[in-house]
Amino acid sequence: MKDMVCRSGVELLMEYLEGELAPDVRAAIEEHVNGCPRCVAFIESYRETPRILREATAAEMPADLEASLLDALRTQRRAAGPDKEDR
Amino acid sequence: MIVPAAESSDETLAARAAGGDDRAFETLVTRYQQRVFRLACRLTSETDAPDVLQETFLQAYRHMTGFRGDSRFSTWLYRIAVNAGLMHRRARTRRPAESLDAFLPQFDADGRHVPTPEALRIVSQVEELLDRQVLAEKARAAIERLPDLYREAFVLRDLEELPTTEVAQVLGVEPATVRQRVHRARMMVRGYLSGIAGVAP
Repeated sequence: MKDMVCRSGVELLMEYLEGELAPDVRAAIEEHVNGCPRCVAFIESYRETPRILREATAAEMPADLEASLLDALRTQRRAAGPDKEDR
Repeated sequence: MIVPAAESSDETLAARAAGGDDRAFETLVTRYQQRVFRLACRLTSETDAPDVLQETFLQAYRHMTGFRGDSRFSTWLYRIAVNAGLMHRRARTRRPAESLDAFLPQFDADGRHVPTPEALRIVSQVEELLDRQVLAEKARAAIERLPDLYREAFVLRDLEELPTTEVAQVLGVEPATVRQRVHRARMMVRGYLSGIAGVAP
């Protein structure tokens, strides 16, 4: 595969990382990246992004919400009941 | 032999709940409430998450007999949660969020990255550059600004860490579509983080 540049490699990056590409395309990306410090840096930051977001948005459910959720569901269940149309 | 609810599989509990066993249903609630709450926070906000959480389990209860076991219970429940989150967003959002397209990577006419390697790597340093609280706010703002289709795929795949195939089942699309959406979202969020650090994407 010829003409691999940063842009074409970036377009295929997710598929590359998930192992979805044909061996020749994989090899072409790796050959380009090995000689391209910009792509090495880009891929590093691309792979870091999910972890940074995951840790920054990790939320714990408040303990009082657990009790109030079950209470609210019991009240609503009594009022509504399961959808008979589904049965 | 009666298996205690806490040790039963999700699918067994779902079948019992569909037959009217409320204890089985509550065991499922207890088992999944943390995950659904976290997902709801990421799809909407911490303020709206309790409502989305309650709506998700209420819908699950109402339609439990519609769960036929052709997917995992968790996949089915996530689908309900994503829809509940989307409905909630639509009821709340007054104006469309500003696009993140400007944060997609930049290339020159030959298809090469424009920024230097140091600039491209800056994302890895945002946790050192920013106060924890500020980073949390910026992270939520970035997710908020993603288009709905990208947000759902990105949150499920990258933040809840579901496998691509399961995200595809939750969203009812092909795995290749999930990868495409997650890829675009990841590049937008990555560029947004770079922008916070004062660097072009």
